[in-house]
Amino acid sequence: MVELYFFQPLGSNSGRVFLALLEKGVAFTERELNGRAFEHLRPEYLAVNSRGQVPTLIHDGRIFTEGTAICEYIDDAFEGPPLRPRDPRERWSMRRWCRFIDSDLGRSLMMIHWNRIVPAFVGSRTREEVERILCGVPDPDRRRAWRRAYLQETPPAELEESQRRVAAASQRIEAALAGSPWIVGTRYSLADIDLFNFYAFVAEWSPQIVNDRLTPHTLAWIGRMRERPAVRELRARTRVPPSPAAAST
Amino acid sequence: MLDLYHWEPNGASGRVLIALEEKGLAYSSCYVDVLAFEQYRPELLELSERGEVPLLVHDGAAYTEASYLCEFLDEAFPSRPLLPSDARGRWEVRVWQKAVDDGFAASVSELAWQAYGGARGVGALAPGALCAAVERIPVEEGRELWRAAAAGLGEEQLARARSRVQEAVKKIEAQLTSAQWLAGAAYSLADVAVFPYFKYLPELCPGLVSDAATPHAMSWMRAVAARPAVRSALARGRVVDPFTVAAPGPEQVRWG
Ligand SMILES: N[C@@H](CCC(=O)N[C@@H](CS)C(=O)NCC(=O)O)C(=O)O
Ligand SMILES: N[C@@H](CCC(=O)N[C@@H](CS)C(=O)NCC(=O)O)C(=O)O
Repeated sequence: MVELYFFQPLGSNSGRVFLALLEKGVAFTERELNGRAFEHLRPEYLAVNSRGQVPTLIHDGRIFTEGTAICEYIDDAFEGPPLRPRDPRERWSMRRWCRFIDSDLGRSLMMIHWNRIVPAFVGSRTREEVERILCGVPDPDRRRAWRRAYLQETPPAELEESQRRVAAASQRIEAALAGSPWIVGTRYSLADIDLFNFYAFVAEWSPQIVNDRLTPHTLAWIGRMRERPAVRELRARTRVPPSPAAAST
Repeated sequence: MLDLYHWEPNGASGRVLIALEEKGLAYSSCYVDVLAFEQYRPELLELSERGEVPLLVHDGAAYTEASYLCEFLDEAFPSRPLLPSDARGRWEVRVWQKAVDDGFAASVSELAWQAYGGARGVGALAPGALCAAVERIPVEEGRELWRAAAAGLGEEQLARARSRVQEAVKKIEAQLTSAQWLAGAAYSLADVAVFPYFKYLPELCPGLVSDAATPHAMSWMRAVAARPAVRSALARGRVVDPFTVAAPGPEQVRWG
C-alpha cells in the first residue's frame, strides 16, 4: 500500500515524486495537503513528517521523506521502467544534476518565487496571525526563510545572486540539451523528472531567460516531456488549490 | 586505474579516502594542499572547472562530490558493499548523505575554520598575505568562498552553524541510541559520510559532544575510528591530527 502527501499545484518537490510514481505505474492513494491553509503544520501531519514539509511517501506503513531520496527509493523498490541509467558514470552524472537542480537552481528559484508570492499566500491574515504560523514551522532554516520573505527582508544582494544563478543554470541546461534529448546520456531519467518540476515553469514566469531564441533546445525538451503519458497525467491531475481566504475558514 | 586527489583525511576528502580503503581498492593518492590553493592548479582545473577536491580520476574520467563519488565507487566496484542490499536501507543512507551535504558539512566546516583556520594564518601564509593570495584564485566561486572566509565569519553565521550542528548531533545520538550504525543493519556510506565531520566535534563543541552528553555517538565514533580501513585513510594526511585543521568548506544551502 502506497500513500503520498503532497501540495497542489503539482510541481517542485511534490511534483517530482508524483511524476516518478506515475512513470513507474505505481498505484497510490493521494493525501493532498492544503499548503495555503497550513495543513502541513498540523499535529497529525507533524507526526508523519516532523519537519512539516511535503512530500512524504508511506509504503507498507513505513515513512519516507526527502524528494531526491524518495525518487531513488521508488526506482529501487517498484517494478516498471528504470528511471536511472545503468552505467555507473551516468548515474554519478544524474545524481549531480539532481543535486544541482534541488540545491542550487531549485533554492534560487524558491527564494525568488516565495518573495513574489508570499503576499498571496498570507492573504488577509494579520501580522500576529502570521507570526503565530511562523512559530509553528519546525525547521529553523525554513522559518527564517519564510520570515524574511514575509517581511520582504531577503537582502537584495541575495535575490540578485539567485537571479544570476538561474541565468547561469539556464545556459548550462541548454548546453546539456543541445547535445542530447535528455539531461543525462540518451535516456530519460530522474534528472529530467526533477528539472521538469523545478524549472519548466521558468519558460512562463521568466520568458527573458527561457525562450526560443536563447534556449531552443530547452523548449524542445519541455515539448518532449509534455508528450510523455505520465507527464500528461501529472498535468491533468494538477489543480490550483482554493485561495487562502477560502482555505483559512 | 584510480587516482584520488585529496586534502587532509577530514571532511569530504576523508569520506572518499575511507570508502576507497573500506572497499580495498588499489588507488594512487595525490595530496593537494588546499591551504596553498593547489586545487586551483591548471592541471586540476582541466579535470574539474571548479577546482575542487576530493576528485577521483577513473579511466580518464573525473568524479567530484563525495556523496556521488562514494556511490559511484560502490556501484562500479561491487565487492565489499557499503550500501545496504535493501531499498529502505539505501534510502536511509541517502537521507544521511543529504543531511551532510545540505548543512552539516558546511556548519562543521565553518566552526572549524573559525577555530583552526583564519585566525592562525593559512598554511604558510600570515593572515595579511591571505587576501592577496585569494585574489589570485582563478575560479570565481572559489574566490568568493575564500574571500568570505578570509574576512571572518560573522557572529550570526556562527550561531546558525552551531544550532545546525546541535540539531544534527541530536539526530545522530537518537539514532545511535537504538542502533549500532546510522543506517540499516550494518556499517555503510552513512557512517562514512558523517564520521569525518563528527570527529571534529568533541574538541570543537565540547559542551555538545562528549561522553556525558552523547555517549552513544561517542562510542560509535570510536568504533568507526578503530576500523583498519579508517586508520589507513587517516594516515594519508600530513598533519598529526587532521581534525585540528580546516579549510573553507562547501556552501550552506541558500534557502531553508
Ligand atoms: N528537503 C525536502 C524539502 C521539501 C520542501 O521544501 N517542500 C515544500 C513544498 S515544495 C514544503 O513542504 N513547504 C512547506 C513549508 O515550508 O512550510 C525535500 O527535498 O523533499
Ligand atoms: N561538495 C564537495 C565539497 C568538497 C569540499 O568541501 N572541499 C574542501 C576541502 S575538503 C575544499 O576544497 N575547500 C577549499 C576550496 O574549495 O577552495 C564534496 O562534497 O565533495
